Amino acid sequence: MASLGYYLLLTAFVVCAYAAAISVAGARRRSRALIESGIGAFYLLAAIMAVASAVIVYSFVVGDYSIKYVQRYSDSVQPLFYRLTSYWGGLDGSIMFWVSLLSVFGSAAIYVNRERHRELIPYVVTVISVVEMFFLFLMIVHNNPFQTFLTESPTDGTGLNPLLQNFYMAIHPPTMYLGFVGLTIPYAFGMAALITGYLDDSWLRAVRRWTMISWLFLSIGLGLGMIWAYEELGWGGYWMWDPVENAGLLPWFTATAFLHSVMVQERRGMLRVWNVSLVITTFFLTIFGTFMTRSGVVQSVHAFGDDPELARMFTAFMITTVVVSFGFVIYRLPLLRARNELDSWLSREAAFMVNNWILLFSAFFVLFATMFPTLSEAVRGERLTVGPPFFNQWMLPIGLTLLLLTGIGPLLAWRKSTVENLRDSFLIPVTLGVVTAVAVAALGVRVWTSGICFALSAFVCGTIGQEFWRGARVRQRATGTDVFTALVGLVARNKRRYGGYVVHLGMVLIFFGFAGEGFKQKEEAQLKPGQQVKVGSFVVRHDALSITDDGQKQMITAHVTVLRDGKPFAEMYPAKWIFRKHEESPTTEVAIHRGFAQDVYLVLATFDAATQTASIAVDINPLVNWVWMGFGLLALGIGIALLPDAVFSFATAPVPANAATAVLIFLAVVLSQGVALAQDTIPAIFRSPLERQVAGEIMCNCGGCRLSVNDCGMMNCHGKSGQMGKIQQYIAEGKDHDAILATFVREHGGYDVLMQPPNRGFNRVAWLLPYVVAIVALLGVGATARRWSRRQAPAPSAAPIDRELDARLEDELRNLD
Amino acid sequence: MSNKAAKSKAGKIALTCVVLATAFGALLYSSLGESLQYYKYVDEVMAEPAAWHGKNLQVHGTVVPDSIGRKDNTLEWRFDLQRNGKVLRAYYTGIVPDTFKAESEVVLTGTLQDNGFHATEMTAKCPSKYDAAPAGPAAQSATPASSGGV
Repeated sequence: MASLGYYLLLTAFVVCAYAAAISVAGARRRSRALIESGIGAFYLLAAIMAVASAVIVYSFVVGDYSIKYVQRYSDSVQPLFYRLTSYWGGLDGSIMFWVSLLSVFGSAAIYVNRERHRELIPYVVTVISVVEMFFLFLMIVHNNPFQTFLTESPTDGTGLNPLLQNFYMAIHPPTMYLGFVGLTIPYAFGMAALITGYLDDSWLRAVRRWTMISWLFLSIGLGLGMIWAYEELGWGGYWMWDPVENAGLLPWFTATAFLHSVMVQERRGMLRVWNVSLVITTFFLTIFGTFMTRSGVVQSVHAFGDDPELARMFTAFMITTVVVSFGFVIYRLPLLRARNELDSWLSREAAFMVNNWILLFSAFFVLFATMFPTLSEAVRGERLTVGPPFFNQWMLPIGLTLLLLTGIGPLLAWRKSTVENLRDSFLIPVTLGVVTAVAVAALGVRVWTSGICFALSAFVCGTIGQEFWRGARVRQRATGTDVFTALVGLVARNKRRYGGYVVHLGMVLIFFGFAGEGFKQKEEAQLKPGQQVKVGSFVVRHDALSITDDGQKQMITAHVTVLRDGKPFAEMYPAKWIFRKHEESPTTEVAIHRGFAQDVYLVLATFDAATQTASIAVDINPLVNWVWMGFGLLALGIGIALLPDAVFSFATAPVPANAATAVLIFLAVVLSQGVALAQDTIPAIFRSPLERQVAGEIMCNCGGCRLSVNDCGMMNCHGKSGQMGKIQQYIAEGKDHDAILATFVREHGGYDVLMQPPNRGFNRVAWLLPYVVAIVALLGVGATARRWSRRQAPAPSAAPIDRELDARLEDELRNLD
Repeated sequence: MSNKAAKSKAGKIALTCVVLATAFGALLYSSLGESLQYYKYVDEVMAEPAAWHGKNLQVHGTVVPDSIGRKDNTLEWRFDLQRNGKVLRAYYTGIVPDTFKAESEVVLTGTLQDNGFHATEMTAKCPSKYDAAPAGPAAQSATPASSGGV
């Protein structure tokens, strides 16, 4: 199997080289046949990589431990799901995964654009192939995932680190990769345009969607990483400016800048050098991020392997990329002249330019601060570091400025805003912002940065609301429908614009959540049973410590009562799990009680079983959940922007879906009482699995033990027998698991009858939502791809009323601008 | 547009860029001074302890076996860090990461004082080589650094 895989990689390399070479030849000779041959070779590459992926996945599934990579990242007891995800669990496999994804993404992009952008395609194939060749080369000479043991191979693997056997960890890397890989496509088109000299705006149109999709994946990848860090690492926050985090953020900044500045070029023919440079920079940063985190150049708490040879290869590739790319930009400068000049600083294009500078500066700053230890070592011979406070000090004002611009930009007209324009459009949003500022001050908010953030959020919401409202009114007057239908029609007519506003709204929510950080409260305390600690308006009381074992792991659970203003608020169960196979690294099971206003976040840090003492870290994290909701909304906005027109032909079709989603989130937050993992209990042989499961989840009501019915050790415990009787009765009545729990909750009058409150309801929605939207978006892209790939029949002429309406709306909207 | 006008415009843009760059550079430099921390290994610090006295430091070393001690019913820790035979006594109050134990590699942030290193922050490196996640925020090992924030 291993040698098959290796030969596949070699073949892929050859095919890639062929595709690159033949495409150049085809383009230069203007030979259709040669170009087609290059395209075909690229499709073949995707097929080969798919087979190679299948080979390694198969090796993981059957446990072929003669392959070093398989041996190192899996073992025989690992669940199937994590054996599959072990594919990208290590460096070698993740490079291969990267190559495979890029070949699939590239094939799709080439397939979609092969007719429309015929003059660019051969060079697109060449550029992507060359990038692929670099990574294939890495694998063949240095990081071959199919490497086998020369001597006798071990009989079992060492197993994936238990910390990585986690759902978020399984889905976060591929999401990030999709984002990173996707950003190669705009680069390839940009380079093709530079090489051929076809530098009109057609290459921009080709890459717009690809950039949006990549940006979506990158954003969701970052969001998932934040959720993962928040829920699994147990330090109470979600971002600490670690080099690995920053590596994902750098291309995000420049891609965001590009998504904005591209509009200026489309609309006004300006910023053409800038745009192509941004695309190159973004691609460079994706490679640089990989380099930074993989080669040991940057010291991180995440002990990366030191790998000087890998560092050298990456450096060579990056230098070549920069020199060649910017060399072409300089060579083509005469063709990249702007068609227009900036008319006024009070114009939308100026706002976009400022936004771009700030985003680019952010990228520069984060890069500088991340690389600072390495730079200082190179310059002064001494390793100096800067901590998260330094990042925060800089990124806070930068973030607030960006938020302000989000509100200002859409209110400015293209070319030049008149004073009347300004007064008309700024009145409501500014009023809203000022009112909020005053209210916040009156309420005595003591953190001024958060106060500013709230006011700016209100301002931006005012802007976005006004845009939607005015647009809908104009359309309503023109079409004579109700406001709601007019709104849908409005969005349908300019999906990118209004989808963009929804993304902005998502950003506002994210900033709103960030602002909550200013009110964070933190306490650590060593508590004996009965002792309590006060944090803000909450009192956290440690009731008992229980130790259970399910054969696979020992679970130490603290039973904690949280009181708010003297009234019971929640029962929470932070825990520590010690896995048999990995006793050296216990896992922290954070207990989170979620809410719109704040999360109560408990971590069992240390414990003493003999005295039942537990040291508990309490974090009160205000407004955190708004960050996750913001990411959801952001995905929704991109989804709207990417939706194919056909979807809107059912005028109102997408609306119920969105409304349903919103309601779902709302309900989930209201209903979810907290988060703790379902913990298995000691098996009892004589009961049915269902009964045993339920008994493990229902609290014994004898009053003293605070254990599940399963675990209450009291002989002839009246509470236990009562609860057991009920469980048996409900099972006899044919109720299923959920129904039984629901009945208990109803009869008891609260969730505290359950050992663990309903599990992760909010979370599931929070992470599901982006995925649902992403899948919808992908399907949309697929559909569009199919449509584009057909020869475009002349569009059926729109009904006269439509054209009239279009003209009128455009006119009135222009007046509004 | 005449050539002259274009030139003066380019000049203006260049001037703006220079001014902005200088301003940001100056700000960056001045704010950098306060938040700088030296990143040193235990043996580097112990080679010349007096030179590091009172400075913001990040010290990297391995926990000496059997040196970990904790005051009863508190979160006050005391332990020794070593590298290449040099040993540094360290004090830390707070919750330690799951991976903090004998022979684990830790990075402490704090200052060197007369009786040893007083840490305000502790991060522990994962003992095994850990290269599981691709570039992205989630590639964090069990390093619940006590610092954080947006």
